[in-house]
Amino acid sequence: MTDTIATSPVMYPRRKRKLRGSTIATYAFLIMCALFFAVPLYVIIVTSFKTMTQISEGEIFSLPREWTVEPWFKAWNTLCTGLECNGIKSGFFNSIQILIPSIAISLILSSITGYALALWNVRWANGFLFVLFMCAFVPFQIIMIPLIILMSRTGFYGSYLAVAIVHAILAMPLLTLIFRNFYKDIPQELMSAAMMDSGSFLRVFVEIILPMSGNIMVVVLILVITSVWNDYLVGLTFAGFSAQPMTLILANAVITSRGEVIYNVDMAAALLTAIPPLVVYFGLGRFFVQGITAGAIKG
Amino acid sequence: MALRWSRWSPQLALTPALAVTAIAFAGSIGWTIWMSFTRSRRLPDYAIDPAEWGRQYNRLFNDPAWALSLGNLLILGIGSMLAIVFGFLLAVLVNREKAGEGVFRTIFLYPLAVSLVVTGLVWRWMMNPSLGIENFLHQLGWKDASFNWLSAPETAMYGIILAQVWQSTGFYMALMLSGLKSINSEIWSAARLDGVSPLRLYVEIIIPMMKFTFLTCAILLSLGVVKAYDIVVAMTNGGPGQSTWTPAYFTINAYSIRSNIGFASAAAVVMLAITLVIFLPIVGLTAWQTRRRADRA
Repeated sequence: MTDTIATSPVMYPRRKRKLRGSTIATYAFLIMCALFFAVPLYVIIVTSFKTMTQISEGEIFSLPREWTVEPWFKAWNTLCTGLECNGIKSGFFNSIQILIPSIAISLILSSITGYALALWNVRWANGFLFVLFMCAFVPFQIIMIPLIILMSRTGFYGSYLAVAIVHAILAMPLLTLIFRNFYKDIPQELMSAAMMDSGSFLRVFVEIILPMSGNIMVVVLILVITSVWNDYLVGLTFAGFSAQPMTLILANAVITSRGEVIYNVDMAAALLTAIPPLVVYFGLGRFFVQGITAGAIKG
Repeated sequence: MALRWSRWSPQLALTPALAVTAIAFAGSIGWTIWMSFTRSRRLPDYAIDPAEWGRQYNRLFNDPAWALSLGNLLILGIGSMLAIVFGFLLAVLVNREKAGEGVFRTIFLYPLAVSLVVTGLVWRWMMNPSLGIENFLHQLGWKDASFNWLSAPETAMYGIILAQVWQSTGFYMALMLSGLKSINSEIWSAARLDGVSPLRLYVEIIIPMMKFTFLTCAILLSLGVVKAYDIVVAMTNGGPGQSTWTPAYFTINAYSIRSNIGFASAAAVVMLAITLVIFLPIVGLTAWQTRRRADRA
């Protein structure tokens, strides 16, 4: 960070004379804020590598005296939730099995709906868009109970598919709006040409529109991965006992566990849960920012 | 045949989405509203007693925990507005000093990729009285330092606000940055030529120009606050006592702990009503913008 300060006057020679002091003050403030945002991640990482003896001395910011990976193995294999001590690994695989059908349903449903609404003359398209816009902001609690009853009646309750379907339902309005906003900018001439060429709804979609949608697909994919992986409430209300996602197992283990609290194992488990979306974030940051702002600004 | 197929398939393709909207959204909302007027307990009971249709709402508004939840919602809403102020400030500074913009943006935004459950657990750990930051400050020699916010009913909500602000500031910064970047670059150079002080430039020109970005942020934040549940579970699980209950927490609790569908539905309907009240400005705003665009054209 120090070399960014050093390079700034070089990049902006005109400002050098005038804004020197304020530039330094600005960077000092920004670095302080960066520390505020970075400290929790630092604390969680160092705690997860410390021994319990060192943790009980209470130096939360100090580096581990002796680095140990044992908490990570314990968190993965033997962390206890209630009476069972199977670690957080079952939650990891549950989350994966929820995520995959959820991605498939969300992407297919929302992209086709968005495409139909943006590029074809369908009746009441604007009315439907407005309804979708409203649905995107409805609190989950107002639709939760009937959906639970519906899932129980159809025998899905407590399965991966139930959680995945509910995620897809909740995401459908916003994702459809994102796809629709992307597709509506496709030039009309291109659509006319495509229509002349093949003319069928599905063929135009598969042969012309889908190859153009790489960017928006990644954006939506990131949105789905982070929201499904980080979800707690849908898992709590639809997963029953056998399909609990990772966040749910983590929360149960840390919050409801009795007796001695093993902080380093808790922090390792929290970090394990946070890693997949963080990898997505650090790997695909540009798309991530597009994803989170796409839904918000276009509305 | 091909022509007829092509005319029908767009409508056909919309069927799943229409079905989801009709059943999972419209139908479910209607069902919940209906249930809120019944005496349903563990199982749905569809009969509405005309003399007692408001029974659940009566109980709800006489329940001290509900009053507390609504109060907490207000505190959380006002406190979380810090994230917008903070986000705007960071966006302005990051935007002014171009060098390092990417690095700072990455650091400010990463909490958004962390789930609220993990956020809550980390902050809970840092607020641990005997091993966390409080202890650290004591060791530094500041003996009166108190960071044990979560264990006292008066301060527990502030702990939740702090974690919430930590998690969401980056999001508002990103929205504000894209708002700032859409401002015409001539305004900046004109202001520099005229020697307008930076403070006046922002207060009198930039902020008024960005009022819709601010409004969007405020509405998104309020809608998010109404849904606040995970963070409460992870940090305090509603405690100490019931001091950090929120309407979302109350509703889930009424359903899963008290097993009372009618009561939970009434609470959910009030949540929906709050959402609609927050939502109305954005509908008005959209209508206003469309009209303005139409006037210009």
